[in-house]
Amino acid sequence: MKVVACYSMKGGVGKTATSVNIAYLAAKSGLKTLLIDLDPQGASSFYFRVKPSPKKWADRFFNAYEALVKHIKASDFDNLDIIPAHLSFRNFDSLLAGFKKRKSRLKTILKGFKNEYDLIVLDCPPSISYLSESIFMASDVILVPVIPTTLSERTFEQLMDFFDENNYPHEKIVPFFSMVQAQKSLHKSTMEAMSARYKIFLASAIPYSSDVEKMGEHKAPLDVFAHTKPANAAYTSLWQEVANALAK
Amino acid sequence: MNPLPVKTWELKQATTSADLLAALAAGFTAEPSATTTSTMTFFDDFDAHLWCANYLFCRILFCGTDEQRFQLIDHAGNAEETSAFDHTKFWWDFSEGCAQKILKNVIGVRALMPVASLHLLEQNVALRNYDLKLVVKACIKSHVVDTQTTHYLTLTALRGYTKEFTKAADIIAPFVKRELDAFGLKYLLTETTPLSFTPEQTSLPSLTADMHTEQAVRAMAVAMLQQASVHVPGVIADTDTEFLHQFRVNFRKLRSLVSLLHKALPAETVALLKPTLSSIAGATNKLRDLDVFLLEQDTYRAMLPENFSTGLSELYEFIELRREQEKISVARYFLSDTYANDLAMCAAELSLPASLQTPMATKPLLRAVNKLLLNRYHKMLTMSTVIHSEAPDEEVHELRIEFKKLRYLIEFFSSLLPPKRIDKFIGTVKKIQTVLGNFNDYGIQIEFLSSYVDDNRIEMSKALSGLIAVLHQKKMAERQKVDAALANFFTPVTTNDVEFLFGATTSGVSE
Repeated sequence: MKVVACYSMKGGVGKTATSVNIAYLAAKSGLKTLLIDLDPQGASSFYFRVKPSPKKWADRFFNAYEALVKHIKASDFDNLDIIPAHLSFRNFDSLLAGFKKRKSRLKTILKGFKNEYDLIVLDCPPSISYLSESIFMASDVILVPVIPTTLSERTFEQLMDFFDENNYPHEKIVPFFSMVQAQKSLHKSTMEAMSARYKIFLASAIPYSSDVEKMGEHKAPLDVFAHTKPANAAYTSLWQEVANALAK
Repeated sequence: MNPLPVKTWELKQATTSADLLAALAAGFTAEPSATTTSTMTFFDDFDAHLWCANYLFCRILFCGTDEQRFQLIDHAGNAEETSAFDHTKFWWDFSEGCAQKILKNVIGVRALMPVASLHLLEQNVALRNYDLKLVVKACIKSHVVDTQTTHYLTLTALRGYTKEFTKAADIIAPFVKRELDAFGLKYLLTETTPLSFTPEQTSLPSLTADMHTEQAVRAMAVAMLQQASVHVPGVIADTDTEFLHQFRVNFRKLRSLVSLLHKALPAETVALLKPTLSSIAGATNKLRDLDVFLLEQDTYRAMLPENFSTGLSELYEFIELRREQEKISVARYFLSDTYANDLAMCAAELSLPASLQTPMATKPLLRAVNKLLLNRYHKMLTMSTVIHSEAPDEEVHELRIEFKKLRYLIEFFSSLLPPKRIDKFIGTVKKIQTVLGNFNDYGIQIEFLSSYVDDNRIEMSKALSGLIAVLHQKKMAERQKVDAALANFFTPVTTNDVEFLFGATTSGVSE
C-alpha cells in the first residue's frame, strides 16, 4: 500500500482537483484506492457527491483504524472509496497536540488499511501544522501543486526549508506546475527558473482550465465529463508519472 | 473490513423489468442502462478439466453486434479475456496471456468442445439518492431456455450505504419468488440447463477381499473395455491425440489384467481374448508413434543446431503427411466390421458368468492378488541380479515390463490393500519406472526415427541422423542411472516391506 498526499501550504493551487483526478485515475487503472478528505471544507467529498456522517467524529479519527472504517463510503466508481471530511476536522491540530507520538499517528492508523487498499490519497488542508507533519511522515509521495507565480515559488521554497530544518527526506517531495497559463510570460519564466533550480519537478503540467472549474458543476472527475479535453490528458499524464514514482 | 451484502433473487414469473423499475422509482432515482443480449457458449475438454479445476471458458456473442469475446472465468468470477483467430480448439489457438497459460496448464493437449450455452439478457440499474449519488447497484438478468424466461435480480450494497440496500430489498420483496444462495454462471449452468459438464467415464466395479477371483476379473475387464470404447468416437473424429492415448492406456490395462490373472479365466477364454485384444491394440501403434513424435516437436527442434532446421521441417511435413494417412486408416479400422465384431466378441466372452473352472477362479480375490504380487516381486528380484552395466538392453526392457505389471496389479486392486503403505510403495515403484521408461523411450524413438532414413531425402536424413545421435547419447546417459536405480530399489528393506504388505492373506485395509 502506498500513500500519496496532495499538499501545499497555499490554498487555491489545485490540491483538491489533483486529489480527485489522481484517485479516480488510480482506481480506473485497477488499484484499490481510498481518498481521505482531510480538508474540513470537504471539497473532494463534494466532487464525489459523498456526504459525511452528521455526527462530529474528528476526536476519534486518530484513535484506531476501526474508527475510520466506519466512515468509508463507496464512490460511484469501481475500486474507489472515500472518507469524507467533516467540519470538525478543523480541530485536528489541537487533537494531535494532545498525543505523544503525534508525528507518526496518521502513519500508524493508515497501516490498518494495507490489506484493503493499494493506494491512499490524502487531500490535505492548506497549512503547516502538526497535521502536516503527520502527513509528511505517513506519505510515500508528497505531490505539491505549484502555480508558476512569485508567491507560489516562495511558498515552495518555504516548504523545502521546512523539510531541511526538520530533516524530512526531500525525496518525498514531488512538485508539478498547476493552473499553468502558457501565454503569461511570468508563468513561463517562473517555470523555467524553478525547473532549472529544482530538478524534481514532474514533466506533466496542469493547464488552467475552465473544465477543472466545471468539476463542481458535474460533481465528477474530469475523465467522466471532459474525457477528451487537455486538462484530463494532463492529469492522466501526471498520474502516470506519479505511478512510476510510486513503483520506484 | 466487513464484506458487503450481495443478494440475488429469482423473481416471480410474471415480473417485468418495467415493474421493478417502477417500484424502485418510489425510493430511488433508478437509472437503467441499455439491455445487452448475449449468447454464451461454454467450452471444455472431454475430461471436463476446466470444470473440475473450477474454471469456465466461454465465448460471448453480443446480439446486434459483431463483438465476440472469449473469457476464462475463475471460481471467484474474475474473468481473463483472450481472443482467437481461425480456430478455437486448442490452447495454442488463443492469444498469448494469462488465459492462454491457464488453458495450457489445465487442458494440455486436449481439444476444447462446446458443452453448454446460455442466452442472457442483462440490464444494470444504478439506484441513486436525492443527491444523485449511486447508493445501490442492481442487475436484472433474464435467462432464456427454449420459450421460457427466468428473471433474476441482484442487488449489490455499496460501502457506507447499507441502509439503502435494505430499503431496495424491501421494495422488491413483492416480486421475489425465492432468494438464491449462490448465483452465477455455474448456477445457471447446473440448475437451469440440461447439459452436463461431467466427463463420460465408467467406473471400475467395487471389489471385496473374499469374492471369487474370476468374478472380479470379469467385472473389471468388462468395465475396462467400456472405458476404452468411450474414447473411440474421439479417435475417429480426430478431436485430439489424447483420445487415442486414453484408448490405448485403458486397453493396455485390460490386456495386462487378462494376462496377469489368466489363471482365473478358462483357458479357451484366454486363448480367444489374447490375440483379439492384441490385434485391436496393434492397429493403433503406428498412429500413436507419429502423434508422440509430433507432440514432441519443440523438444526435437531444440536438440539440433539451426542448420538442421530445413531437414527437420521436411521431416515434420513428411511425418504430418504420414499421420494424415494413418489417421484415416485407424478411423476406417474403428468403423469396420472387423473391429465391431472383435469388440462384441470380447465383450460377450468377458460378460459370461464366472465358470469357476480353474483353481484360481474360486480363490478369494485378495489371497490370489497377494500371491501374484509376492511371486512377481521375487521374479523381478531374481531378474535384477543378472542386470549389470554391460547387460543387453533387452534384459532391462523385460524388467521394465515386469515393473509395469507389478504397478498395474497393485493399482487394479489398491482398494483392497492398506492405502498409506501402498501409496508409499507405489511412489518408490514410480521412481524406478521413470528411469527405466526414459531409457526405453529413447530406444523406441531411435527405432522410430531410423525407419524414416531415406537416401533420396538428404536434408531430412541428415536431421534424422542428428536426432538419432543425440537420442543415443541421452539413452547412454539414462542407462548409467539404471544400475543405481535398481540397487536402490531391490534392498532387504523393500523385500521386507513387500513380504509384510502382500504376505498377509486377509484384507489389509487396516494399518
